[in-house]
Amino acid sequence: MRAPNHLDRGTPGFNMTPMIDVVFLLIIFFLVSSHLARQEVEMELNLPDAQTGQDADPTDLTRRLVVNVLPEGGIVVGGQPLAPDALSDMIAYESGRGRTPGEPLEVRIRTDREAPYRTVEPIMRACARAGVWRVTFAVVGD
Amino acid sequence: MRASYRHAERRSDLVVSMTPMIDVIFLLLVFFVCTASFRPPEQILPTQVSLPGSEPTETPPDEEFEDLDDLVVKVLWRQTRPVWELNGRQYASLGEVRTVLEAAQRVQPGLPVILNVEPAVPMHHVIDLYDLCRLVGLDRVQFAASAS
Repeated sequence: MRAPNHLDRGTPGFNMTPMIDVVFLLIIFFLVSSHLARQEVEMELNLPDAQTGQDADPTDLTRRLVVNVLPEGGIVVGGQPLAPDALSDMIAYESGRGRTPGEPLEVRIRTDREAPYRTVEPIMRACARAGVWRVTFAVVGD
Repeated sequence: MRASYRHAERRSDLVVSMTPMIDVIFLLLVFFVCTASFRPPEQILPTQVSLPGSEPTETPPDEEFEDLDDLVVKVLWRQTRPVWELNGRQYASLGEVRTVLEAAQRVQPGLPVILNVEPAVPMHHVIDLYDLCRLVGLDRVQFAASAS
């Protein structure tokens, strides 16, 4: 016969509570951080408003180049400031770099309300030269 | 002795402990506050870009409309405010431009509009005009490109 000792009593009931606590905390941490990471991609800009804007289709998997235009006229692509000439080279390069030949490229221009047209015009001209037919402006609905 | 102990245990079960519920509710509150984006959802405005020599791949322009007139809207910048010019007449407000565009749409639906914008004009005036053209029903809007 085994002598009962008080150390044995703890083993049969495995305590799940702290593990569940930690797992939930991790789940919530990853949810929040992934959400914030997605938000950071979109640069903080004061976009122009429009009434005829369309909702962007999240399932649209067209290759897309997002060009941010700052109020003073600077151009930022992928977080990097870019000279206008370098941007037109990039558009020409990207348009010819599809997974399949002839795969369309979309250039989305996120321009600040106060950015002058002289910054945006070369971007559109570069798109037309490179044969990029899909140029969209990011706007905010009224 | 034993009976009184069990009795005490049962009574403590009946007391609803609020602390875990408050913990969970706070956690949910913090989660939703963190994930809520306080920015209006972004929309897109498709454009047509064309230049002589560029080859449209998706929306080829109709041959029969090629010969028809198009409406050129100039946006000029006078120090601090924009002035719109259509057919040689200048308009100081977008409302007047809208009247003209609506008339043009009635006379000739789907008339191509070409926007000729001065370099100094802020983009929101350009987008406003572009939006107005689409709103009126003139969907074929193109941007004039200066040769340089």
